[in-house]
Amino acid sequence: MSDLRIRFDHVTKCYGTLCVVDDLELDIAKGEFVSLLGPSGSGKTTLLMMLAGFESPTKGRILVDGEVIDNTPTYKRDMGVVFQSYALFPHMTVGDNIAFPLQMRGIGKAEIAERVTRVLDMVQLSAMRDRWPAQLSGGQQQRVALARALVFEPRVVLMDEPLGALDKNLREQMQLDIRALHNRLGLTIVFVTHDQSEALTMSDRIAVFNKGKIEQIGSPREIYDHPSTRFVANFIGETNLLEGIVDGAAGNGVRVRLPDGRHIAAAASDTLADGQNVLVSIRPERIRLDDLHGGTNQLAARITDSVYQGNHLRIQLDEGAHNFVVHLDRKAAQHQPGAEVMARFQPDDCWVIRS
Amino acid sequence: MSASTGTGRFAAVALIAPLLVFIAVFFIWPLFTVMSQSVSDTAVLNLLPRTAQAAKGWDPESPPTVEMKTALAEDLQAVEDRQALGDMTRRLNSAQPGFRTLMSRTTRALRKDDLPDLGEVDERWNQPVYWQAIVGALSPTTDRYLLAAVDLERDVSGNIVAMPEEASANRTIMLRTFWVAALVTLCCLAIGFPYAMLIASTEGWKRQALLGAVLLPLWTSLLVRTAAWFIILQDNGLINWMLTGLNITSGPIPLIFNRTGVVIAMTHVLLPFMVLPIYSVLLSIPDNLMKAASSLGAHPMRAFLRVLLPLSLRGIASGSLLVFMTAIGYYITPALIGGAGDQMISSVIAFYATGSANWGMAGALGVVLLAITILLYAVYGRLSSAEERRG
Amino acid sequence: MFQGLRLVFAIAAVTFLLAPLLAILPLAFTSSVFLTYPIPEFSMRWFDVLFTAASWKRAILNSLIIGAGTTVLATVLGTMAALGLRNWRLPFKGTVRTLFLLPMVVPAVVLGVGMQVLFVRLGIASSYAGVIVAHTVVSIPFVVVSVIGALGGIDRRVELAASSLGASPLTVFRKVTLPLAMPGILSGAVLAFATSLDEVVLTLFVAGPNQRTLARQMFATIRENISPAIAAAAFLFIVGTILLAAIGLIVRRQVAARRGLQKSES
Repeated sequence: MSDLRIRFDHVTKCYGTLCVVDDLELDIAKGEFVSLLGPSGSGKTTLLMMLAGFESPTKGRILVDGEVIDNTPTYKRDMGVVFQSYALFPHMTVGDNIAFPLQMRGIGKAEIAERVTRVLDMVQLSAMRDRWPAQLSGGQQQRVALARALVFEPRVVLMDEPLGALDKNLREQMQLDIRALHNRLGLTIVFVTHDQSEALTMSDRIAVFNKGKIEQIGSPREIYDHPSTRFVANFIGETNLLEGIVDGAAGNGVRVRLPDGRHIAAAASDTLADGQNVLVSIRPERIRLDDLHGGTNQLAARITDSVYQGNHLRIQLDEGAHNFVVHLDRKAAQHQPGAEVMARFQPDDCWVIRS
Repeated sequence: MSASTGTGRFAAVALIAPLLVFIAVFFIWPLFTVMSQSVSDTAVLNLLPRTAQAAKGWDPESPPTVEMKTALAEDLQAVEDRQALGDMTRRLNSAQPGFRTLMSRTTRALRKDDLPDLGEVDERWNQPVYWQAIVGALSPTTDRYLLAAVDLERDVSGNIVAMPEEASANRTIMLRTFWVAALVTLCCLAIGFPYAMLIASTEGWKRQALLGAVLLPLWTSLLVRTAAWFIILQDNGLINWMLTGLNITSGPIPLIFNRTGVVIAMTHVLLPFMVLPIYSVLLSIPDNLMKAASSLGAHPMRAFLRVLLPLSLRGIASGSLLVFMTAIGYYITPALIGGAGDQMISSVIAFYATGSANWGMAGALGVVLLAITILLYAVYGRLSSAEERRG
Repeated sequence: MFQGLRLVFAIAAVTFLLAPLLAILPLAFTSSVFLTYPIPEFSMRWFDVLFTAASWKRAILNSLIIGAGTTVLATVLGTMAALGLRNWRLPFKGTVRTLFLLPMVVPAVVLGVGMQVLFVRLGIASSYAGVIVAHTVVSIPFVVVSVIGALGGIDRRVELAASSLGASPLTVFRKVTLPLAMPGILSGAVLAFATSLDEVVLTLFVAGPNQRTLARQMFATIRENISPAIAAAAFLFIVGTILLAAIGLIVRRQVAARRGLQKSES
């Protein structure tokens, strides 16, 4: 892999007996946008801090462009870091903040001025050059921090929940802006977030963290459609999980027998032995409701609740053994609580997870 | 941080070390000197080095040896400092009455004659008790200053007993110090608590003005404030001028060089130390608590007693400790505004140190004051760190 | 009724706090040799005395010399220690900090007695060095508290950001930490100077006649021969205090306005 940029080689970080990053391996390619996604305390920020040089691994090595950087101090690592709190220098103007990394590299005044102008243009803050950070809005400060981390063209840009403090609309706008910058400049970005929709929107690949380990790594589509563990299925979006046992093959996938004897046909990544305990994950938006009988992959249920949520209807079903959540188009037929319906789903939309 | 943790610790130590050394030499060492002064007693040893040598191994029950008598005579003849001789005599006389006459007779004889036999100069030199007193006083350390600081002494047989009534002054002064400090603390509380509540209940410029009225005196020189009270309180000062001018009193009422003046001036000086801790605690109490209390049916007075007062108790305790602790060590204000009967422990220490060069007594009283202050500060530290943990 | 009571109390308390400071000011301009009201005639004679009489002139000069020495020594030592304490992750950090604050607590007379005895032994009694050292001891707590406070207000991530942008530890300190801590260091320095200016007790014990400071001179004047010269000196003190406070306030306002901090603070 010639375009390998970063390699975490069996990296462990412990504080006393508590290991927040546990024997972790991860490769990141040049120009890739990788999100580290997980709940707080799952080790994703610690991993980023080790990459930036603010923390050092207890065990293992970190390589950048083939070189071990464990003994390289932060200021020689050539990585742009964007913090959630922005960490702008309050005693410098916007322009001086952005010029700082260039001054550190001994670049001439004229070139600094030119590059600051260019990067300010890029983040659309040219008018704010002589303002003080505290005079800017959160979103503007965020873009200054971004400009400051990009202006010296670092090998890697590290972002630690950079959008966490912004309100929803601004956050979504910034997600697209950062994504566009990534595509335009070919940046290598490592992006820490606990917001799964943010990770899905922005990333080439997502690494889902749980308890210091990576549960699954893959493209947003893989992670969402084909979660490999119960944790991933639950953490990324909402899902319905049915426990069952593998009971023969069905088309490209397997037949799963539910505890009450009924069968569901579901897709699976690889061949599974008969009798294996599994979970079937069905996304709420993949379920349709009707009152037709017959066919496989359908369960009779009663509606217990129906909530209008703007872009969809959220319906709760009681199927006896399970409670289901279903998202329907908001224009769908009225479903009143108490009504008896059939819940129907395609085998392709049922994903088998080893339990 | 990672790569620099080791150097970081080194740098931290290197940064702290200069101040640590400075504080050790110029703060801890002086305090240590005070303590060692309070137990050091070399008035006799310095004058009688030969006697000390000769008395080594002497059995206190047996009569004095010839060598001891000769050594003492030589020592006494060598003394040129009359003041030191007087000090030593006083010191010995307090251990064994009769030394005063014995010494004056002996020194007179020594001036006339070259090295007479002391036993012939005065028969008492043959009795062991006088030599026991000398040997007892030769020890370089003593507890008598510390005992005297709390009006105790050792009797002839070495037991600790109370000093006779007429000689005991220190306990009176300590009680007076505590009494004045307590009065000042009470006055500060009486003014400071309502004042802090007043600040906390106002807003905007009013709050700024009320706070400023507390802070301005705090920032002003202590001497300026003391001088100002001098002007106001003196017999022909502002208050008496107004009182007589308005014909309320016929002559000046005494306000200065007495307890009233000291308490007024010290209350003024220390009031900020009461107001500010209480104010900061009051600020941390959500103001909807009182509203909640009254919505639950509590009369304002009850709400105050049951809600606000208990919650602000920590501030009151911190402020009172701070004021009391500072007040017991005060020197300048009592020295300038107080009369002879209002001198506090610091004044007495200063008197012993600068007035009569009695370093032992100054040290002993200093140790007592230091111990009390540090104790109060430890309690105060406990209180405020508990406050921090809660906050 | 309650409101009225509040107002009366407020006026009484503020009068008690401020009246002494106001009472002494006009007497600076009295023509009388007595420090009493009423003032017969206004005159500048006591300011004249202050700036021409040898004892007062000497005292003012001494105060400035000793104050400057104390300010430099206390600010340098205190700032260094505060910086060290910030990075020092050792268990007895709290003890060390308490030790640095203790000079504020220990009764001045006790410390003075000890210094007098020790300074004679060290050969710095009755010298400028001795007085500066003594004043520095009691000024240290103010500098340490003030600088620790300022350093505590610095977001660590700002310093991390600087190092990630290519600044070496020394550069981070020079370009980020120091400028951000500067207000705290400056106010520590001002407090150190003010402490030295107002110090009497230690001065009584360690200074010789040549190091008589303004505060010491005022102490003697009140004690021995009270004269309106002290009101003139007090006038300078009070005006100086207000001026300093005003300058401090204006500078802070300006810095705050420039950095737009009032927005984020409110």
